[in-house]
Amino acid sequence: MKIALAGNPNSGKTTLFNAITGRTEYVGNWPGVTVEKKEADLNRVFRRIAAKAFAEISGGAHSSGRIRVVDLPGAYSISPFTSEEAITRDFVTGENPDVIINIIDCSSLERSLFFTTQLLELGIPLVIALNKVDIIRRHGDKVDVSGLADALDCRIIEVSANDGEGLDKLVAEAVKASVQDREKLPAAGFDTAVAGAGGDEDGLDRARQAYAKTITGKYFFRKRSANEITFSDKADRVVAHPVFGLIIFALIMWGVYALSINGIGGWASGYINDVLFAEAIPDALNSFFESIGLSPILQMLIVDGAVGGVGAVLGFIPLIMVLFFCLALLEDSGYMARVAVVMDRYFKKIGLSGKSIIPMIVGTGCSIPGVMATRTIEDDTERRITTILTPFVPCGAKLPVIALFAAVFFPGATWVFPSIYLLAGLVIIAGGLLLKKIFRYEGENISSFILELPEYKLPSLKHALRQMLKQAIAFIKKAATIILVMNTLVWFMQTYGWNLRPVEDQSMSILAAIGGVAAPLLLPLGLASWQMASSIVTGFIAKENVVATLAILLASSEDALYTATGPLAEMFTPVTAFAFLAFNLFAPPCFAAVGAMNSELGGRRWIFKALLFQLGVGYAVAMLITQIGTLIVYGRPADGALASIIIAAALVGLVIAAIRIRNGKTRGISNTMREENAL
Amino acid sequence: MPLSKARPGHCGQIKAVNGNEKMRKFLFTLGCSEGEEVTLISVLAGNYIINVKDSRYAIDRNIAKAIELI
Repeated sequence: MKIALAGNPNSGKTTLFNAITGRTEYVGNWPGVTVEKKEADLNRVFRRIAAKAFAEISGGAHSSGRIRVVDLPGAYSISPFTSEEAITRDFVTGENPDVIINIIDCSSLERSLFFTTQLLELGIPLVIALNKVDIIRRHGDKVDVSGLADALDCRIIEVSANDGEGLDKLVAEAVKASVQDREKLPAAGFDTAVAGAGGDEDGLDRARQAYAKTITGKYFFRKRSANEITFSDKADRVVAHPVFGLIIFALIMWGVYALSINGIGGWASGYINDVLFAEAIPDALNSFFESIGLSPILQMLIVDGAVGGVGAVLGFIPLIMVLFFCLALLEDSGYMARVAVVMDRYFKKIGLSGKSIIPMIVGTGCSIPGVMATRTIEDDTERRITTILTPFVPCGAKLPVIALFAAVFFPGATWVFPSIYLLAGLVIIAGGLLLKKIFRYEGENISSFILELPEYKLPSLKHALRQMLKQAIAFIKKAATIILVMNTLVWFMQTYGWNLRPVEDQSMSILAAIGGVAAPLLLPLGLASWQMASSIVTGFIAKENVVATLAILLASSEDALYTATGPLAEMFTPVTAFAFLAFNLFAPPCFAAVGAMNSELGGRRWIFKALLFQLGVGYAVAMLITQIGTLIVYGRPADGALASIIIAAALVGLVIAAIRIRNGKTRGISNTMREENAL
Repeated sequence: MPLSKARPGHCGQIKAVNGNEKMRKFLFTLGCSEGEEVTLISVLAGNYIINVKDSRYAIDRNIAKAIELI
């Protein structure tokens, strides 16, 4: 049996889904958090309730079997406006769920009923979950539930998905409806009001709106006018103020990073890195292995390869946890929609709209959900540009690299992280301007911006804690699988030569040979060593690998890696270290994020263009930093200065050519249009 | 009068919604269409905060211009 959850954006579908399945899917207080359908079984408590309900109606003859719950992206209407709304339509019209639970945020009853009227006509049993009843009760408003249920001739249950109120009854009624309401026809009043109106699709829709209005007027009792200025409105005057809004945004983001990087997260990470993985664990393991007489090679593989590499990454768990905890609180508060309002005017200048900021903030945690969040952007070009720019925001996995380099090359400096974010911001602006020139027709209509503003709410600590744990577990899993495998491979390749014998000198190893091929390409960036080349390559598999690989290659213990006189300091100058960070930040993200980009961009041509652009930006920015930085700081040209001038000229030429091609096409199009007009 | 010219606090009936078909249809599903009531709550950072059918939306100036009030 299949239960589908459908309703308007931000009505609480995923919260309800999590509550009845026990999952911890991502929720947030802005419209468009869920962009994919998600499936899970009912959890044990609700399975029992469902089984009981089923036994009641069938007299115990059958069991309900497995009950799948499908959470769908929010939609205002069955005719989709954005691509995630299309997912919802395709599911409810194409996959025959046994029952639809239509979640309605009862503080916007009339608007929600429009979608309800469309769902009612599908002929699928429908149960309405009237959500957030606690909120309207607090406002002093009231819904005549039995009157409404009679008018629509369907089951309505009052629930509060947040604290679980009414959910047992909802599940029981959904099970009953799936059997008993199968052959039911739409209510008589509804039928004459809507279907009886006849006419085309527009006429039907108008009749649906009129019907929604009539029954809302009849069964919804309002104590205060919705036009009244609420607390949210007053708060918005400050939070979305053109000047204060920017300051508040900057302060909030600074606060999030101060807490996770310098605050409790950074402190705990530092402790784990310096004490646990640098000394305590390797020492304990070494003496243990020596006592049982393990072969030295195996011992080295485990201690230096696995523990050294994975440990370098695992140490950053507290930092990641605090980051995701703060982001979950932020997303749950209702603030995201306000940032979109504040940033809209700036994003318009680079051909985007305020909605593009949301994927980027989500992307500060991880680029994958960030890239997926672009789906709520209606305009194709705008969505593609946002998809390409979102990985430029430093994600959680890139923070360890920045933290490591900051500690080695700029000890005590507080400007490293802020400057990286500033650089990311500047490159996003410049990249947006470039992409607008390359992808948009001259004079093409600029995008429009419309977004529902949810009421502010006190963020749920429970949810934030759950998200934090979920991310920590995901991080550990990643470290124990993909990163561990990569590290073992890296360790093997740097320990052995092509003849599969251990090498005396690392530069004779397999890895040195492979990395050596890529190294000359990085010469203009000041990063021409096989170690750097290999850490960049492993970084494409997961960005955490950069730290892990450097840890294996450059140090037998991490302690040495972190010191200003350690092996890392011999390979980089502070200038090239910064260039390395920039390249790592802007060059294409990890494979998983590239996969997400691929599915959002749609089409091989687009992903090719996107990766080329990101690689070009990463290369160009790192090259500029190295070349200009070296000239200014050390007063001499860096290695490969001549090559970099040629490459820079080639890149500029490439960009101009791309813009020319686009403009040529524009002229072509306007010419054909002129011809058509002439005809 | 277009909504973009209204003063905050103004509550009026929609005469017509102009602009492209897709946006018009979307506004319609929100209940922002001919004959419906809309209130301008405030203008923030160049965007218009409106109330339609008990919900708040932020719309940009171009959309506000396309909504004609009686």
